[in-house]
Amino acid sequence: MADSSAPKPSSSVKLVLLGEAAVGKSSLVLRFVNDDFQPNKEPTIGAAFLTQKCQLPTRTIKFEIWDTAGQERFASLAPMYYRNAQAALVVYDITKESSLVKAKHWVAELQRQASPGIVIALVGNKLDLCEDDEEAAEEESSGASATAAADDEEGEESEAAAESTENNDEGNNSTARKVSLKEAKSYADEENLLFFETSAKSGHNVGEVFTAIANAIPETSLKGRNAGAAAGAGTQAALTGANENSRVNLNAASGDGGPKEGCAC
Amino acid sequence: MFLQNLVQKAQQFIDPAVLPGPLGNSSNGRPSKAQLFRHQFRLPDSQSPLYEITAELTLPTKKSGNDAKSPSKNWDKSNWDRDRGTHHVGQLHLSEQFLCFSTVQTSFVSTASASASAGFTGRTHGTGPAGNGFTLPLCAVRRVERLHTQSYVFALSITTWNGYDAGTETKPGAPAPPKLTIQLEGSRQQCERFCDGLKRGLRQGIKEVENMRTVAQDCYSEYFLYDEFDAVPATEKADGTARAPPDTGLGTVFKYPGNSRKLRDRSKMRLWHEYLKEHGRNTTLVRQPDFHRLIRVGLPNLLRGEIWELTSGSFYLRLQKPKLYQDTLDKFQGQGSLAIDEIEKDLNRSLPEYAGFQSEEGIGRLRRVLTAYSWTNEEVGYCQAMNIVVAALLIYLSESQAFYVLSILCDRLLPGYYSTTMYGTLLDQRVFESLVEKTMPIIWDHLVKNDVQLSVVSLPWFLSLYINSMPLIFAFRVLDVFFLEGPKVLFQIGLAILRINGEELLDATDDGTFISVLKSYFARLGESAHPKSENPKHRAITNFQALMVVAFKEFDGITQHTISEQRSKHKSAVLESIESFAKRTSIRNLGPESKKLSTNDLGFLYDRFYVVLYERQQRMEMIQAEIDRKAKLAKQRASEIVTGLPTNTPEMGRLALGASQTQMDYDAFREFLAGVAKWAVTDSPSSPMKDFSGGNYFTNTLRNRPINTSPWGNGPEPAEHEFLQRLFKKWDIDGNGALSLQNVVYGLAPIKGNRDIMSSISYFFELYDDDGDGKVDREGVLRISEALLFLSRRGLTGSVSHGPEDIDKVLPSKDEQFLGAVSSFIRRCFEYAEPDKTEVDNAADGVDLLDLGEKDETGHAETDDQSEHPKSPSPSSAGESSILARPSTNTFGQTKSRVVSANAALDPASPVHITLPTFRMLVLADETLESFFDSGFANSFHLADAPLPSNIVTSPAYLGLSHAPPTSGSGLSIPGPIGPTPVGIASGGVVGPGKGLRGVLDNIVTDGMRVAAEVRRRMDEAQRELDRGASTRGTEDDEDDDGEEQAVDLLEGAEANAGATPAKTPAKPSMLLDTPVVGGPRIESNGKARAGSDVEKSTMFER
Repeated sequence: MADSSAPKPSSSVKLVLLGEAAVGKSSLVLRFVNDDFQPNKEPTIGAAFLTQKCQLPTRTIKFEIWDTAGQERFASLAPMYYRNAQAALVVYDITKESSLVKAKHWVAELQRQASPGIVIALVGNKLDLCEDDEEAAEEESSGASATAAADDEEGEESEAAAESTENNDEGNNSTARKVSLKEAKSYADEENLLFFETSAKSGHNVGEVFTAIANAIPETSLKGRNAGAAAGAGTQAALTGANENSRVNLNAASGDGGPKEGCAC
Repeated sequence: MFLQNLVQKAQQFIDPAVLPGPLGNSSNGRPSKAQLFRHQFRLPDSQSPLYEITAELTLPTKKSGNDAKSPSKNWDKSNWDRDRGTHHVGQLHLSEQFLCFSTVQTSFVSTASASASAGFTGRTHGTGPAGNGFTLPLCAVRRVERLHTQSYVFALSITTWNGYDAGTETKPGAPAPPKLTIQLEGSRQQCERFCDGLKRGLRQGIKEVENMRTVAQDCYSEYFLYDEFDAVPATEKADGTARAPPDTGLGTVFKYPGNSRKLRDRSKMRLWHEYLKEHGRNTTLVRQPDFHRLIRVGLPNLLRGEIWELTSGSFYLRLQKPKLYQDTLDKFQGQGSLAIDEIEKDLNRSLPEYAGFQSEEGIGRLRRVLTAYSWTNEEVGYCQAMNIVVAALLIYLSESQAFYVLSILCDRLLPGYYSTTMYGTLLDQRVFESLVEKTMPIIWDHLVKNDVQLSVVSLPWFLSLYINSMPLIFAFRVLDVFFLEGPKVLFQIGLAILRINGEELLDATDDGTFISVLKSYFARLGESAHPKSENPKHRAITNFQALMVVAFKEFDGITQHTISEQRSKHKSAVLESIESFAKRTSIRNLGPESKKLSTNDLGFLYDRFYVVLYERQQRMEMIQAEIDRKAKLAKQRASEIVTGLPTNTPEMGRLALGASQTQMDYDAFREFLAGVAKWAVTDSPSSPMKDFSGGNYFTNTLRNRPINTSPWGNGPEPAEHEFLQRLFKKWDIDGNGALSLQNVVYGLAPIKGNRDIMSSISYFFELYDDDGDGKVDREGVLRISEALLFLSRRGLTGSVSHGPEDIDKVLPSKDEQFLGAVSSFIRRCFEYAEPDKTEVDNAADGVDLLDLGEKDETGHAETDDQSEHPKSPSPSSAGESSILARPSTNTFGQTKSRVVSANAALDPASPVHITLPTFRMLVLADETLESFFDSGFANSFHLADAPLPSNIVTSPAYLGLSHAPPTSGSGLSIPGPIGPTPVGIASGGVVGPGKGLRGVLDNIVTDGMRVAAEVRRRMDEAQRELDRGASTRGTEDDEDDDGEEQAVDLLEGAEANAGATPAKTPAKPSMLLDTPVVGGPRIESNGKARAGSDVEKSTMFER
């Protein structure tokens, strides 16, 4: 199938962005495609379409990006856009709790309704707004790595963390972060999603998201969208394998990103 | 049909003959004639066609137009020459507040065929649905004269004004609008009827003059025409007051988009100056062929807003409620809403490339318009894309003008586009796709083959009216035509875009290329379409001009009729897909607790939940419409009922159409349960199935079938019982007096989902543990037993698992067992009840003593029960007849006296309670109760796996019981041992069915006088309640009767009213026009007209 003789085969991947309104979907795309940031981005009507190439060591991936409107009432249009998508970026705003809830809904929707084997990445955007919480975040992330082994402890810790966040909120508004890294991460692991925290404004982690997605796309499904459906069980098996790979990749990526995040936020 | 959404159902009831169906909401229902009428002339929703007549309009030629400047007295009436001026033959229509004339021949009288009334939806050749003619608010009519003619010709001369004095040669000012001469063509009677109506309307119109002044003041034409075109605008009026141009949008401050020289703005202004001078302006405008041509070439900046207002009809809305915008803002000042939050998010990102929207001024205007609209139409609220559209409007319109245009857009021109489900958008995308398929099959096949989804490209075109697809100057040109001709323009432009780019599109094989082809085309719209042409004229044609030509020439055949037809064809499929999406999403998002129920069950609950809400809403509306109709008839011609902004639609409540109810109140909850559980159906339907329904009204019109407007519709009437209230309260976690779907699912999940007897028992116990202290007092115990009997009164299990023949045989024995079980439950409850305080040690001893004896006794009874009535379905009819007797024989007279005399638990003076462990023990001690809590209770809710057959619910076997003699009355709301047993017959004699329950209880504790007294008290209460219920029912019926009578009266009144004109006119044929002396009640008030008639015999109306 993907046994093209060219040294660096190029293939296109349909990617759809979903998430609550004003979480920064369009900004992420703009950063990825034009390496640009506009503070007042026009709201997306229906969906915007952009393309960008992503160079991998072994191949080139051309992303066809469908950036959808986030307002709740546009949700019924979404199936039109995620149809046939091989990858999805579900975005939430780490400074807004409700946006993660909505993101979870989207993940569930995609898992049941989108093409089987779709690669889903969960992305918490607006990391730049949390720079003030640096210390808290650092504590949290170090706590997370320390207790990564013990689930029970982790649970308690996160509760404690949540409490401290609340306290902070009452005291002063310095804590912009409303969704803890740990909470989102554990959800992403549970659902087998790629996971990143990004800042479209600073560009932090944006390229990484797309690279990780590109890596996670199974080669077998790159032959072309139309052929994908005909591939049948073989593809399915390949996908499962690929997903495992992706998890390995993910872990590696977040391992790399861990300390960086610590300094960045 | 898109027009359906424009109208309040109430109005459909005004002219029922016009409506095909009782609701007009079936997907193939056609719009009413009143709707078509309003749509043709862009009138507000309060208007309906009253009279119409064929007529010929004569307009003065240019020369006489100049004459018109001189005082109108010079008009030589006796020598009227109908050959002077331009003539238009058409139809003259009269509504409550408007006089409309159109050259497009349409008819809205009830006898007209559908095609005659929908005639204007065909090809309009650029004139828009209203054609040539005028839409004249009656308040703008200053004087109507009947012209003296030699022949039988019936001609009227109409002098119009818009609240401003016309200038004359000596006094500067805008010229007077043209005098309209209209020759009515019809029988003398018809003409007179029409004039009669006109006269009435004119008198009403006087009230509106102030509004008209306010509204005309905002029109640029008023300022514009004050001076000659080339003159420097005067800075003050003749009387010395300063004058300034009205607000014509942000463009005056931040510049209008485009190069005005390139757009030839000045020469366009000159042409418009001439046109408006000759043919009237704002309220008094007469549409001539030039009017439409001038719009096609693009409106000049300063007049764009005003013409948009006029062609879209928002002008007439503003005329009716000039203060609505400001009032709305004032009223909701400082309040927040979800829509406002969403608006705030987008304010900074609406047409950011236009300088005006980088300023606080522009953003402030945008905020206010969007906010005000979100308040007037909370169902729509705010939808992204509205910000872009409104921002564009605000460049040419003042805030308040933009507000009304937005209303017209959302309510009429783009129905459902911005609703919460955006069904209108999705529907029109389907329509567009099917039009592409029909008109350009090659492109369509190519799209299908390459799996390119057209709507991903075209959706933003429609949703934001091309504003963020094309460069602004071209998008505004599209808008110019769109407001004039209606939504079909969007389709025509879209098709033309694809046609022009056809070849390139055929090379595109994926979404990406497809989109970039169109993107680059839009960027080149201003360039020459034929850059290589020799002919300089051809070279001068821009891509945009070429696009307009293709759109309106080649796709001329795409008419409003085409669109409507396609919409109705695809509507149900689109709605269904939205609904299934909503259902899927909603069920998935119900939360973890919902996982206890199967997906099927959730789906079933979802459907049941929304069906109940939907049906209730429909019923409410129908009843409301009925009330409105009566009110309206009562007010006769209540033209005051002006409902500027339609908020209800005939199909409102259907999920896919946007904001619908999502909360269920208590009554809806009862109705919901009645469809899910048998016990929730009442035994005594209060309103007989035959409906009261204003049946007279409906049966009068043969086409309508009677509607059941009983508060419960056609479904079974739900029971009312304390248990239901408790259940509702428990499920209503948020305590807001209403249940969401999630509440219902979370309420049912522990019952249906756990299947664990212990949690089921606790659930039930908690229902009765009011203060949550883990104790249920004596009263609670009695209520629990009542509830148990209530729940079991129609039998519990069996109906599902057994064959139909078995049911009858099984139930009795089960009922009997259950009765016994509940009886012993009560007894034991009091045995094991713990005193609230420690004071009653002695009594406690007594209880202990008694317990022993009692236990033996009970054990005995149980064995008896079991041996004689095994669970297997083998009871005899003899068993049935002995139901009531059995418990008594078993327990009668053995321990009673001892029990009660000693049992302090039964003494109301010493409060007692049972705890959950006690309750659990008591339940588990009884096999029947155990099985009830184990499965019976859960199974009594019939979800998807075993839906409740509706015939069981309403079957006469059950209902028959409720027809027990009213004197006995019991057993109805009192949970009695009811089932298909001969209870009613057995007790029919002296005792009354009520004795059944009491008898049982009596037998449990023979000497338990206090208990009995308690029970009796409750029975009496219930009886009283029943009586009260019966009596209120009686009054209700009376009221209904009254209502009907009234309706009849009104109806007669209406008929009389409608018939009055023909009937009376022969008697006083000339009254209206010549001698308004005969005193009709309405004429009476108009003394002036009478007096004036002596002087000027032919003046119908003058002010």
